[in-house]
Amino acid sequence: MAQVIDDFAQTIQLDQLWSDPYPIYRRLRATQPVAWVPAANRYLVTRHADIAYLEKHPDIFSAAESPSLMTRVMGHTMLRKDGAEHLRERKAAEPAVRPRIVKQRWTPVFQRIADELIDGFLERGEADLFTDYAAPLAARSLAAVLGLAEVAGADLEEWSQAMMDGNGNYGDDPAVWQRADAAARGVENAVDAAIERLTAHPDDSVISAMLHAEDPLSHQSIRDNLKMFIGGGLNEPRDATLVGTYALLTHPEQRAAVDADPGRFKDVFEETVRWVAPIGMYPRQTTVETELGGVILPAGARLGIVLASANRDESVFTDPDAFDINRTNRVHLAFGGGPHYCLGTWIGRAQVGAVSMPTLLRRLPNLRLDETVPVRWGGWVFRGLLNLPVRWDA
Amino acid sequence: MPKITFVQPDGTESALDVDAGTTVMMAALAASVEGILAECGGNAMCATCHVVVVDPTRPGLPPVSDDEDEMLDCTASPRKEGSRLSCQLPVTEELDGLVVRLPEEQM
Ligand code: FES
Repeated sequence: MAQVIDDFAQTIQLDQLWSDPYPIYRRLRATQPVAWVPAANRYLVTRHADIAYLEKHPDIFSAAESPSLMTRVMGHTMLRKDGAEHLRERKAAEPAVRPRIVKQRWTPVFQRIADELIDGFLERGEADLFTDYAAPLAARSLAAVLGLAEVAGADLEEWSQAMMDGNGNYGDDPAVWQRADAAARGVENAVDAAIERLTAHPDDSVISAMLHAEDPLSHQSIRDNLKMFIGGGLNEPRDATLVGTYALLTHPEQRAAVDADPGRFKDVFEETVRWVAPIGMYPRQTTVETELGGVILPAGARLGIVLASANRDESVFTDPDAFDINRTNRVHLAFGGGPHYCLGTWIGRAQVGAVSMPTLLRRLPNLRLDETVPVRWGGWVFRGLLNLPVRWDA
Repeated sequence: MPKITFVQPDGTESALDVDAGTTVMMAALAASVEGILAECGGNAMCATCHVVVVDPTRPGLPPVSDDEDEMLDCTASPRKEGSRLSCQLPVTEELDGLVVRLPEEQM
Protein backbone atom coordinates (compact mmCIF):
# COMPACT_ATOMS: atom_id res chain seq x y z
CA MET A 1 0.00 0.00 0.00
CA ALA A 2 1.37 3.38 -0.94
CA GLN A 3 2.01 5.66 1.97
CA VAL A 4 2.22 9.38 1.77
CA ILE A 5 4.61 10.76 4.33
CA ASP A 6 4.48 14.46 4.89
CA ASP A 7 8.03 15.12 5.88
CA PHE A 8 8.21 18.84 5.36
CA ALA A 9 11.12 19.10 7.81
CA GLN A 10 13.36 17.10 5.44
CA THR A 11 12.95 19.75 2.74
CA ILE A 12 13.87 22.83 4.82
CA GLN A 13 16.97 24.66 3.61
CA LEU A 14 19.10 26.98 5.75
CA ASP A 15 18.92 29.85 3.25
CA GLN A 16 15.12 29.73 3.47
CA LEU A 17 15.33 29.97 7.23
CA TRP A 18 17.76 32.85 6.91
CA SER A 19 15.55 34.92 4.62
CA ASP A 20 12.22 34.33 6.38
CA PRO A 21 11.85 31.56 8.95
CA TYR A 22 8.36 32.44 10.15
CA PRO A 23 6.22 30.60 7.54
CA ILE A 24 8.43 27.54 8.07
CA TYR A 25 7.99 27.70 11.84
CA ARG A 26 4.22 28.10 11.46
CA ARG A 27 4.05 24.88 9.47
CA LEU A 28 6.36 23.03 11.86
CA ARG A 29 4.26 24.08 14.85
CA ALA A 30 1.14 22.80 13.13
CA THR A 31 2.47 19.50 11.81
CA GLN A 32 5.90 18.59 13.25
CA PRO A 33 6.55 20.55 16.47
CA VAL A 34 9.62 18.46 17.28
CA ALA A 35 11.17 17.64 13.92
CA TRP A 36 14.49 16.32 12.70
CA VAL A 37 15.74 18.95 10.25
CA PRO A 38 18.70 17.54 8.30
CA ALA A 39 19.88 20.95 7.05
CA ALA A 40 20.26 22.18 10.65
CA ASN A 41 21.57 18.80 11.77
CA ARG A 42 19.28 18.90 14.80
CA TYR A 43 15.71 18.56 15.97
CA LEU A 44 13.92 21.89 15.89
CA VAL A 45 11.52 22.45 18.80
CA THR A 46 8.97 25.08 17.79
CA ARG A 47 6.00 25.13 20.22
CA HIS A 48 5.78 27.49 23.21
CA ALA A 49 4.55 24.77 25.59
CA ASP A 50 7.34 22.32 24.75
CA ILE A 51 10.00 25.01 25.14
CA ALA A 52 8.56 26.25 28.44
CA TYR A 53 8.63 22.61 29.62
CA LEU A 54 12.20 21.86 28.59
CA GLU A 55 13.50 25.08 30.10
CA LYS A 56 12.24 23.80 33.46
CA HIS A 57 14.15 20.51 33.04
CA PRO A 58 17.80 21.43 32.53
CA ASP A 59 18.87 18.03 33.87
CA ILE A 60 17.32 16.36 30.80
CA PHE A 61 17.95 19.14 28.29
CA SER A 62 21.59 20.03 28.84
CA ALA A 63 23.40 23.18 27.74
CA ALA A 64 26.72 21.31 27.66
CA GLU A 65 26.42 20.39 24.00
CA SER A 66 29.27 18.28 22.68
CA PRO A 67 31.00 18.70 20.35
CA SER A 68 30.33 22.43 20.34
CA LEU A 69 31.66 24.96 17.84
CA MET A 70 31.21 27.61 20.46
CA THR A 71 33.58 25.84 22.85
CA ARG A 72 36.11 25.56 20.06
CA VAL A 73 36.01 29.33 19.49
CA MET A 74 35.56 30.62 23.01
CA GLY A 75 36.74 27.91 25.39
CA HIS A 76 34.62 26.78 28.33
CA THR A 77 32.02 29.44 28.96
CA MET A 78 29.11 29.30 31.38
CA LEU A 79 26.71 29.10 28.44
CA ARG A 80 27.78 25.51 27.78
CA LYS A 81 27.82 24.35 31.41
CA ASP A 82 25.13 22.97 33.69
CA GLY A 83 24.35 22.80 37.40
CA ALA A 84 26.67 24.06 40.11
CA GLU A 85 29.54 24.76 37.74
CA HIS A 86 27.37 27.08 35.67
CA LEU A 87 25.78 28.73 38.70
CA ARG A 88 29.13 29.60 40.26
CA GLU A 89 30.28 31.55 37.19
CA ARG A 90 26.92 33.17 36.68
CA LYS A 91 26.62 34.32 40.28
CA ALA A 92 30.06 35.90 40.04
CA ALA A 93 28.96 38.07 37.09
CA GLU A 94 25.46 38.93 38.30
CA PRO A 95 26.17 41.88 40.63
CA ALA A 96 27.19 43.96 37.59
CA VAL A 97 23.91 43.43 35.72
CA ARG A 98 21.17 43.38 38.36
CA PRO A 99 18.38 45.97 38.01
CA ARG A 100 19.51 48.46 40.66
CA ILE A 101 23.07 48.85 39.37
CA VAL A 102 21.73 48.97 35.82
CA LYS A 103 19.48 51.86 36.72
CA GLN A 104 21.92 53.82 38.85
CA ARG A 105 25.23 53.12 37.19
CA TRP A 106 24.73 51.96 33.59
CA THR A 107 21.63 53.75 32.33
CA PRO A 108 23.33 57.20 32.54
CA VAL A 109 26.29 55.74 30.61
CA PHE A 110 23.98 54.40 27.88
CA GLN A 111 22.27 57.78 27.73
CA ARG A 112 25.56 59.63 27.30
CA ILE A 113 26.66 57.32 24.48
CA ALA A 114 23.30 57.62 22.71
CA ASP A 115 23.39 61.41 22.90
CA GLU A 116 26.98 61.57 21.62
CA LEU A 117 26.12 59.40 18.64
CA ILE A 118 23.07 61.47 17.79
CA ASP A 119 25.03 64.73 18.19
CA GLY A 120 27.38 63.34 15.54
CA PHE A 121 24.74 62.97 12.83
CA LEU A 122 21.83 65.18 13.91
CA GLU A 123 22.51 67.90 11.31
CA ARG A 124 22.71 65.41 8.47
CA GLY A 125 19.00 64.70 8.28
CA GLU A 126 19.56 61.10 7.26
CA ALA A 127 21.31 58.00 8.55
CA ASP A 128 21.49 54.26 8.44
CA LEU A 129 20.57 53.57 12.03
CA PHE A 130 22.35 50.21 11.91
CA THR A 131 25.87 51.50 11.33
CA ASP A 132 25.41 55.05 12.65
CA TYR A 133 23.56 54.30 15.88
CA ALA A 134 22.41 50.86 16.96
CA ALA A 135 25.67 48.95 16.41
CA PRO A 136 28.08 51.50 17.95
CA LEU A 137 25.68 52.16 20.83
CA ALA A 138 25.45 48.45 21.63
CA ALA A 139 29.24 48.00 21.33
CA ARG A 140 30.24 50.97 23.47
CA SER A 141 27.60 50.18 26.08
CA LEU A 142 28.75 46.57 26.26
CA ALA A 143 32.38 47.67 26.60
CA ALA A 144 31.45 49.87 29.55
CA VAL A 145 29.43 47.22 31.38
CA LEU A 146 32.08 44.55 30.86
CA GLY A 147 34.93 46.72 32.13
CA LEU A 148 36.60 47.23 28.74
CA ALA A 149 35.84 50.92 28.40
CA GLU A 150 39.22 51.60 26.79
CA VAL A 151 38.46 49.22 23.88
CA ALA A 152 37.16 50.91 20.73
CA GLY A 153 33.57 50.07 19.81
CA ALA A 154 34.69 49.11 16.31
CA ASP A 155 37.12 46.49 17.67
CA LEU A 156 34.37 45.02 19.79
CA GLU A 157 32.06 44.88 16.75
CA GLU A 158 34.71 43.05 14.71
CA TRP A 159 35.55 40.57 17.51
CA SER A 160 31.90 39.86 18.11
CA GLN A 161 31.12 39.18 14.47
CA ALA A 162 34.25 37.11 13.90
CA MET A 163 33.56 34.86 16.89
CA MET A 164 29.89 34.51 15.99
CA ASP A 165 30.87 33.46 12.50
CA GLY A 166 33.16 30.87 14.09
CA ASN A 167 30.29 29.58 16.24
CA GLY A 168 28.34 29.02 13.04
CA ASN A 169 31.24 27.61 11.00
CA TYR A 170 29.56 24.30 10.26
CA GLY A 171 31.33 24.26 6.88
CA ASP A 172 34.76 24.19 8.62
CA ASP A 173 36.08 27.08 6.54
CA PRO A 174 39.74 27.73 7.58
CA ALA A 175 39.51 31.46 6.87
CA VAL A 176 36.60 31.72 9.30
CA TRP A 177 38.58 29.88 12.00
CA GLN A 178 41.53 32.18 11.46
CA ARG A 179 39.50 35.34 11.89
CA ALA A 180 37.67 33.89 14.92
CA ASP A 181 40.95 32.86 16.55
CA ALA A 182 42.41 36.31 15.97
CA ALA A 183 39.32 37.85 17.56
CA ALA A 184 39.57 35.50 20.55
CA ARG A 185 43.21 36.56 21.04
CA GLY A 186 42.21 40.21 20.77
CA VAL A 187 39.64 39.70 23.54
CA GLU A 188 42.13 37.84 25.72
CA ASN A 189 44.67 40.66 25.51
CA ALA A 190 42.08 43.31 26.29
CA VAL A 191 40.74 41.27 29.20
CA ASP A 192 44.22 40.71 30.60
CA ALA A 193 44.84 44.45 30.62
CA ALA A 194 41.49 45.01 32.34
CA ILE A 195 42.23 42.31 34.93
CA GLU A 196 45.46 44.01 35.83
CA ARG A 197 43.76 47.35 36.29
CA LEU A 198 40.66 46.03 38.10
CA THR A 199 42.56 43.80 40.51
CA ALA A 200 43.95 46.91 42.19
CA HIS A 201 40.97 49.21 41.55
CA PRO A 202 37.63 47.37 41.60
CA ASP A 203 34.62 49.02 39.94
CA ASP A 204 31.03 48.06 39.02
CA SER A 205 31.90 46.15 35.83
CA VAL A 206 31.43 42.48 35.00
CA ILE A 207 35.14 41.70 34.94
CA SER A 208 35.59 43.37 38.31
CA ALA A 209 32.62 41.44 39.74
CA MET A 210 34.10 38.15 38.56
CA LEU A 211 37.52 39.03 39.97
CA HIS A 212 36.25 40.13 43.35
CA ALA A 213 33.39 37.66 43.83
CA GLU A 214 33.14 35.78 47.10
CA ASP A 215 34.28 32.77 45.10
CA PRO A 216 36.46 34.52 42.48
CA LEU A 217 36.83 33.07 39.00
CA SER A 218 40.18 32.13 37.50
CA HIS A 219 41.65 34.48 34.92
CA GLN A 220 41.16 31.85 32.22
CA SER A 221 37.52 31.47 33.10
CA ILE A 222 37.08 35.27 32.99
CA ARG A 223 38.73 35.39 29.55
CA ASP A 224 36.51 32.63 28.18
CA ASN A 225 33.31 34.08 29.58
CA LEU A 226 34.21 37.50 28.22
CA LYS A 227 34.47 35.99 24.74
CA MET A 228 30.94 34.71 25.21
CA PHE A 229 29.63 38.07 26.47
CA ILE A 230 31.21 39.88 23.52
CA GLY A 231 30.14 37.28 20.97
CA GLY A 232 26.62 37.11 22.32
CA GLY A 233 25.93 40.44 23.99
CA LEU A 234 26.19 42.92 21.19
CA ASN A 235 23.78 41.93 18.47
CA GLU A 236 20.72 41.56 20.73
CA PRO A 237 20.45 45.17 21.93
CA ARG A 238 21.48 46.34 18.45
CA ASP A 239 18.79 44.28 16.77
CA ALA A 240 16.10 45.14 19.31
CA THR A 241 16.80 48.86 18.84
CA LEU A 242 16.46 48.54 15.07
CA VAL A 243 13.44 46.25 15.00
CA GLY A 244 11.56 48.25 17.65
CA THR A 245 12.27 51.56 15.90
CA TYR A 246 11.24 50.09 12.55
CA ALA A 247 8.03 48.76 14.08
CA LEU A 248 7.12 52.18 15.51
CA LEU A 249 7.91 53.93 12.22
CA THR A 250 5.61 51.54 10.36
CA HIS A 251 2.77 51.58 12.95
CA PRO A 252 1.76 55.25 13.30
CA GLU A 253 -1.03 54.67 15.85
CA GLN A 254 1.31 52.84 18.18
CA ARG A 255 3.93 55.50 17.71
CA ALA A 256 1.38 58.14 18.65
CA ALA A 257 0.65 56.16 21.81
CA VAL A 258 4.31 56.22 22.90
CA ASP A 259 4.68 59.89 21.92
CA ALA A 260 1.79 60.61 24.25
CA ASP A 261 3.12 58.40 27.05
CA PRO A 262 6.85 57.58 26.95
CA GLY A 263 6.20 55.08 29.77
CA ARG A 264 4.92 52.83 26.98
CA PHE A 265 8.46 52.23 25.65
CA LYS A 266 8.53 49.42 28.18
CA ASP A 267 5.72 47.74 26.25
CA VAL A 268 7.44 48.52 22.95
CA PHE A 269 10.56 46.73 24.11
CA GLU A 270 8.76 43.60 25.32
CA GLU A 271 6.66 43.41 22.15
CA THR A 272 9.74 43.94 19.97
CA VAL A 273 11.62 41.00 21.43
CA ARG A 274 8.49 38.88 21.23
CA TRP A 275 7.82 39.83 17.60
CA VAL A 276 11.36 39.22 16.35
CA ALA A 277 13.36 37.46 19.06
CA PRO A 278 17.00 38.60 18.68
CA ILE A 279 18.17 35.12 19.67
CA GLY A 280 15.97 32.98 17.47
CA MET A 281 17.44 29.59 18.32
CA TYR A 282 19.80 28.12 20.89
CA PRO A 283 21.13 24.56 21.21
CA ARG A 284 20.42 21.90 23.83
CA GLN A 285 21.29 18.22 24.04
CA THR A 286 19.33 15.43 25.76
CA THR A 287 21.12 13.59 28.57
CA VAL A 288 18.73 10.58 28.53
CA GLU A 289 16.07 9.17 26.25
CA THR A 290 13.02 11.36 26.72
CA GLU A 291 9.70 12.34 25.22
CA LEU A 292 9.00 15.85 23.99
CA GLY A 293 5.92 17.00 22.12
CA GLY A 294 4.94 13.41 21.38
CA VAL A 295 8.34 12.52 19.90
CA ILE A 296 10.76 10.06 21.53
CA LEU A 297 14.24 11.57 21.53
CA PRO A 298 17.28 9.35 22.08
CA ALA A 299 19.93 10.28 24.65
CA GLY A 300 22.44 12.69 23.12
CA ALA A 301 19.94 14.15 20.63
CA ARG A 302 20.92 17.62 19.47
CA LEU A 303 18.08 20.11 19.66
CA GLY A 304 17.51 23.62 18.35
CA ILE A 305 15.22 25.50 20.71
CA VAL A 306 13.39 27.95 18.48
CA LEU A 307 12.42 30.89 20.70
CA ALA A 308 11.47 32.85 17.59
CA SER A 309 8.75 30.29 16.92
CA ALA A 310 7.51 30.03 20.52
CA ASN A 311 7.02 33.79 20.45
CA ARG A 312 4.68 33.45 17.44
CA ASP A 313 2.77 30.44 18.75
CA GLU A 314 -0.90 30.97 17.83
CA SER A 315 -2.04 28.89 20.78
CA VAL A 316 -0.54 31.53 23.10
CA PHE A 317 -0.67 34.83 21.21
CA THR A 318 -3.65 36.13 19.22
CA ASP A 319 -2.64 37.33 15.76
CA PRO A 320 0.98 36.41 16.56
CA ASP A 321 2.56 37.93 13.44
CA ALA A 322 1.22 41.40 14.23
CA PHE A 323 3.28 43.93 16.15
CA ASP A 324 1.01 45.13 18.94
CA ILE A 325 2.18 46.92 22.08
CA ASN A 326 -1.33 46.61 23.53
CA ARG A 327 -1.23 42.83 23.98
CA THR A 328 -2.45 41.65 27.34
CA ASN A 329 -0.65 38.32 27.12
CA ARG A 330 3.07 38.90 26.97
CA VAL A 331 4.58 35.64 28.18
CA HIS A 332 7.23 35.65 25.46
CA LEU A 333 10.32 33.50 25.80
CA ALA A 334 12.83 35.91 24.25
CA PHE A 335 15.09 35.77 27.32
CA GLY A 336 14.98 32.00 27.53
CA GLY A 337 14.28 30.42 30.89
CA GLY A 338 15.65 28.37 33.73
CA PRO A 339 19.24 28.63 34.99
CA HIS A 340 20.44 30.20 31.72
CA TYR A 341 17.78 32.95 31.76
CA CYS A 342 19.39 35.85 29.91
CA LEU A 343 21.96 37.53 32.12
CA GLY A 344 21.57 40.72 30.08
CA THR A 345 17.79 41.02 30.55
CA TRP A 346 17.89 44.15 32.72
CA ILE A 347 20.68 45.68 30.64
CA GLY A 348 18.61 45.15 27.50
CA ARG A 349 15.45 46.58 29.03
CA ALA A 350 17.33 49.70 30.11
CA GLN A 351 19.56 50.16 27.07
CA VAL A 352 16.82 49.68 24.49
CA GLY A 353 13.55 50.31 26.32
CA ALA A 354 14.69 53.30 28.38
CA VAL A 355 17.46 54.82 26.24
CA SER A 356 18.06 53.90 22.61
CA MET A 357 14.52 53.99 21.20
CA PRO A 358 13.10 56.86 23.29
CA THR A 359 16.14 59.05 22.65
CA LEU A 360 15.93 58.58 18.88
CA LEU A 361 12.26 59.42 18.68
CA ARG A 362 12.62 62.37 21.01
CA ARG A 363 15.63 63.95 19.34
CA LEU A 364 15.06 63.36 15.62
CA PRO A 365 12.08 65.49 14.55
CA ASN A 366 9.63 63.82 12.16
CA LEU A 367 11.72 60.66 12.01
CA ARG A 368 10.62 58.45 9.10
CA LEU A 369 11.80 55.61 6.91
CA ASP A 370 13.81 56.60 3.85
CA GLU A 371 11.47 55.07 1.29
CA THR A 372 14.11 55.14 -1.44
CA VAL A 373 16.23 52.43 0.22
CA PRO A 374 14.56 49.10 1.02
CA VAL A 375 15.09 47.66 4.49
CA ARG A 376 16.59 44.18 4.58
CA TRP A 377 16.01 41.41 7.13
CA GLY A 378 18.17 38.37 7.72
CA GLY A 379 19.01 35.50 10.03
CA TRP A 380 17.30 32.75 11.97
CA VAL A 381 19.75 31.77 14.76
CA PHE A 382 20.09 35.51 15.28
CA ARG A 383 17.60 37.63 13.39
CA GLY A 384 17.21 41.33 12.79
CA LEU A 385 17.38 44.18 10.32
CA LEU A 386 20.55 44.50 8.25
CA ASN A 387 20.01 48.23 7.68
CA LEU A 388 17.56 50.93 8.73
CA PRO A 389 17.69 53.95 6.41
CA VAL A 390 15.85 56.93 7.87
CA ARG A 391 15.38 60.66 7.40
CA TRP A 392 14.29 63.47 9.71
CA ASP A 393 13.88 67.24 9.62
CA ALA A 394 17.34 68.69 10.25
CA MET B 1 3.42 18.12 55.52
CA PRO B 2 3.04 21.91 55.45
CA LYS B 3 -0.09 23.15 53.68
CA ILE B 4 0.24 26.14 51.35
CA THR B 5 -2.71 27.90 49.76
CA PHE B 6 -2.53 29.90 46.52
CA VAL B 7 -5.34 32.36 45.83
CA GLN B 8 -5.89 33.46 42.22
CA PRO B 9 -6.95 37.03 41.41
CA ASP B 10 -10.49 35.71 40.76
CA GLY B 11 -10.60 34.11 44.23
CA THR B 12 -10.06 30.48 43.18
CA GLU B 13 -7.96 28.67 45.76
CA SER B 14 -5.62 25.72 45.49
CA ALA B 15 -4.37 24.22 48.73
CA LEU B 16 -1.27 22.04 48.36
CA ASP B 17 0.39 19.66 50.77
CA VAL B 18 4.04 20.29 50.14
CA ASP B 19 7.16 18.48 51.27
CA ALA B 20 9.51 20.56 53.37
CA GLY B 21 12.78 21.28 51.58
CA THR B 22 11.36 22.66 48.35
CA THR B 23 10.40 26.30 47.71
CA VAL B 24 6.95 27.84 47.39
CA MET B 25 7.77 28.52 43.72
CA MET B 26 8.80 24.90 43.02
CA ALA B 27 5.69 23.61 44.77
CA ALA B 28 3.51 25.85 42.59
CA LEU B 29 5.24 24.72 39.40
CA ALA B 30 5.02 21.04 40.34
CA ALA B 31 1.27 21.41 40.83
CA SER B 32 0.90 23.67 37.73
CA VAL B 33 -0.60 26.48 39.77
CA GLU B 34 -1.49 29.22 37.35
CA GLY B 35 0.25 32.57 37.51
CA ILE B 36 3.76 31.52 38.54
CA LEU B 37 6.11 31.84 35.55
CA ALA B 38 9.45 31.59 37.39
CA GLU B 39 11.39 32.30 34.23
CA CYS B 40 14.82 32.40 35.82
CA GLY B 41 14.35 29.08 37.55
CA GLY B 42 14.60 30.42 41.10
CA ASN B 43 17.62 32.65 40.76
CA ALA B 44 16.06 35.92 42.01
CA MET B 45 16.69 37.47 38.59
CA CYS B 46 13.30 37.65 36.84
CA ALA B 47 10.56 38.71 39.31
CA THR B 48 8.01 36.46 37.55
CA CYS B 49 7.37 34.31 40.64
CA HIS B 50 5.85 37.22 42.58
CA VAL B 51 3.29 36.39 45.31
CA VAL B 52 1.70 38.46 48.05
CA VAL B 53 1.76 36.86 51.49
CA VAL B 54 -1.58 37.51 53.17
CA ASP B 55 -0.12 37.61 56.71
CA PRO B 56 3.42 38.98 56.38
CA THR B 57 3.96 38.94 60.16
CA ARG B 58 3.39 35.17 60.51
CA PRO B 59 6.31 32.98 61.65
CA GLY B 60 8.43 30.98 59.24
CA LEU B 61 9.07 33.72 56.67
CA PRO B 62 12.76 34.48 56.09
CA PRO B 63 13.71 38.16 55.90
CA VAL B 64 13.79 39.82 52.46
CA SER B 65 17.40 39.81 51.16
CA ASP B 66 18.88 42.74 49.22
CA ASP B 67 18.64 40.80 45.94
CA GLU B 68 15.01 39.96 46.57
CA ASP B 69 14.22 43.53 47.63
CA GLU B 70 15.66 45.00 44.43
CA MET B 71 13.82 42.46 42.28
CA LEU B 72 10.52 43.17 44.05
CA ASP B 73 10.85 46.73 42.72
CA CYS B 74 10.69 45.20 39.20
CA THR B 75 7.46 43.19 39.42
CA ALA B 76 4.84 43.54 36.69
CA SER B 77 2.01 44.08 39.18
CA PRO B 78 2.92 46.76 41.71
CA ARG B 79 4.72 45.67 44.88
CA LYS B 80 2.54 45.50 47.97
CA GLU B 81 3.06 44.93 51.63
CA GLY B 82 3.63 41.18 51.80
CA SER B 83 5.10 40.95 48.28
CA ARG B 84 7.71 38.19 48.02
CA LEU B 85 9.52 36.18 45.39
CA SER B 86 8.13 32.68 45.89
CA CYS B 87 11.48 31.21 44.81
CA GLN B 88 13.05 32.79 47.88
CA LEU B 89 10.61 31.13 50.30
CA PRO B 90 11.84 27.72 51.47
CA VAL B 91 9.03 25.45 52.63
CA THR B 92 9.47 24.48 56.30
CA GLU B 93 7.14 22.94 58.89
CA GLU B 94 6.84 26.41 60.37
CA LEU B 95 5.33 27.67 57.13
CA ASP B 96 2.31 25.34 57.48
CA GLY B 97 -0.89 27.24 56.68
CA LEU B 98 0.76 29.91 54.53
CA VAL B 99 -1.68 31.74 52.26
CA VAL B 100 -0.39 33.71 49.26
CA ARG B 101 -2.23 35.71 46.62
CA LEU B 102 -1.16 35.70 42.99
CA PRO B 103 -0.79 39.10 41.34
CA GLU B 104 -2.76 40.08 38.22
CA GLU B 105 0.36 40.01 36.04
CA GLN B 106 3.82 38.47 36.09
CA MET B 107 5.13 40.03 32.85
S1 FES C 1 11.94 32.48 39.69
FE1 FES C 1 12.91 34.22 38.94
S2 FES C 1 12.89 35.56 40.60
FE2 FES C 1 11.93 33.80 41.37
